[in-house]
Amino acid sequence: MTKTKDGKPEGNGLPSDRQSHKREIEGLKGKIQKGKGVDIGTMFVKCAYKEGDEIVFKSQRNAFFDVEHTDFTKKILDNSKVKYIIKEDNLYVVGDEALQFANMFNKDTRRPLSKGVISPTEKEALPMIELLIKSVVGEPAYKPEGNGLPSDRQSHKGEIVYFSVPGEPLDADFNVLYHIKMVEGFLKTLGYTPKPINEGHAIILSELAGEDFTGMGLSFGGGMVNVCLSFMSVPIFKFSVAKSGDWIDQQVAMAVDETASRVSAIKESSLDLSKEGDLSKIESALSIYYNHLIEYVIENIKQEFAKARRLPRIANPISIILSGGTSLPKGFSGRFKQILDRLKLPIPVGSVRMACQPLRSVAKGALIAASADESKK
Amino acid sequence: MALTGTEADIINCVARLRLVTKDQIRRQVGFSLEYIGFLCRDLIRRGYLGFSEGHYFLAKDGIKTLLAEETPKIDRKLIKEVAEEVARQISGELKRTVRGIKIPVSVREIIKETGFETPPGERIKIKTDFDLPVEDESLALESNIDKIGTRVEKEKSDDMDKTVRLFKEMHKPGGNGLASDRTGGHGLPSVRQSHRQSHKKGRKR
Repeated sequence: MTKTKDGKPEGNGLPSDRQSHKREIEGLKGKIQKGKGVDIGTMFVKCAYKEGDEIVFKSQRNAFFDVEHTDFTKKILDNSKVKYIIKEDNLYVVGDEALQFANMFNKDTRRPLSKGVISPTEKEALPMIELLIKSVVGEPAYKPEGNGLPSDRQSHKGEIVYFSVPGEPLDADFNVLYHIKMVEGFLKTLGYTPKPINEGHAIILSELAGEDFTGMGLSFGGGMVNVCLSFMSVPIFKFSVAKSGDWIDQQVAMAVDETASRVSAIKESSLDLSKEGDLSKIESALSIYYNHLIEYVIENIKQEFAKARRLPRIANPISIILSGGTSLPKGFSGRFKQILDRLKLPIPVGSVRMACQPLRSVAKGALIAASADESKK
Repeated sequence: MALTGTEADIINCVARLRLVTKDQIRRQVGFSLEYIGFLCRDLIRRGYLGFSEGHYFLAKDGIKTLLAEETPKIDRKLIKEVAEEVARQISGELKRTVRGIKIPVSVREIIKETGFETPPGERIKIKTDFDLPVEDESLALESNIDKIGTRVEKEKSDDMDKTVRLFKEMHKPGGNGLASDRTGGHGLPSVRQSHRQSHKKGRKR
């Protein structure tokens, strides 16, 4: 690994091959449309952009695991194409492999994001999340005119990127402002014009165009559930609750004496919420906590309806779109419908359905907002 | 003489609200104003309630009834709630004034404690659209992420352009898609109609 004069390693994150990256961008210009959407979630960072008649999604799992740092380990990881990050004397495996390593060692992965925001307890959170964002977002394909200096970037409008942000949490005593400002500032440093978009709202933009962007978007992510009710694309209320996939993993792990990483792996690979009998101990616990989470979210939605004083008159029953990694297990939407039928919302509900691509809808919605803004320029 | 159910309800209501008018009791307990007035007069006569300046409050026997274990129909949960609330208020006061020094307490805490929110007109608005310069701390990291690359997935964009157009039209200043323009029908019929049709087709597919 070569180092620059001031001792900083060359080629970390994006600039490893700046020239080839530039050539790649030049070659794609005209094909790539202006505007990007980024979903910055607790589990994944995902960027969407449009290239020709396709939407391209680039993603990284938002987890890391520390392993012993030796030249030998590094070589093995390089040969096996396992992603890693080195900071000072520490070697971290990142991405999907971090989860595999954690399971192998019967430990839990570390996360740069916790409960939807930059983790306050993780000291490596900031550089780690910056690197992961940079690896999926890259540099702007369309740069503002000027010589690229930071001062220039401030004064010129760069390519618009919408990034997802959680709503204010109803059940946790933290504010999302620090997270938003840090991500926004970092994207500016890369040369973009960043704009935040609520996660639930992004789902509505992505999935409810056929219903005039009227309905409810729910994102069951890793750290939070985000909810947005929108009328004609205007958010009526949006909020988050700081319980979601990670909370389920932790509760189940405690209940059955397993690690949260192992529970998460089972949840992601084989959980079927439509199955009624013949459940393993972990599956039973997962089923119980899924029920609890869904009920908790619906009760919070009911409370928000009660608080909203002037709701617009929505003539037709609204659609509810379910999205996010925690909503992926088979039978999730059925379970949600069942509980919703029992608890009932104060407005008529039409269809309850999964997003077409539950892991992509937030990034896609953010991309739609960015493209609309770019075309206004 | 033992308390009837409605009388116990009145005692519970007065205990919960401390100083309470006849109308407030009526709203909580039900029945007509006259009937509530009749019952309250009787409770005053029997020493359960006191009355001053249009408000009822618990008198000596009323408090005794609340504390007596054997009194039926008295809401023990309520007594606990009232006691906890008093304890909270006292501890809040203690937090704010220690040895005569006033400690500032955040508005959020006061709202939590009292349930009173500042009137909307007095709310403080904080501007958050400032620019925060953020250093690229990831420059200090070494990684092979770029060599290996990220996971790339692609999907056909289908009618994304139409979605973008529709969204843009809705957000046009004075445009015809927003709620305020909806009274006379559906703004943008052409874009929206064709969009809906294509979405339906897409779903059938």
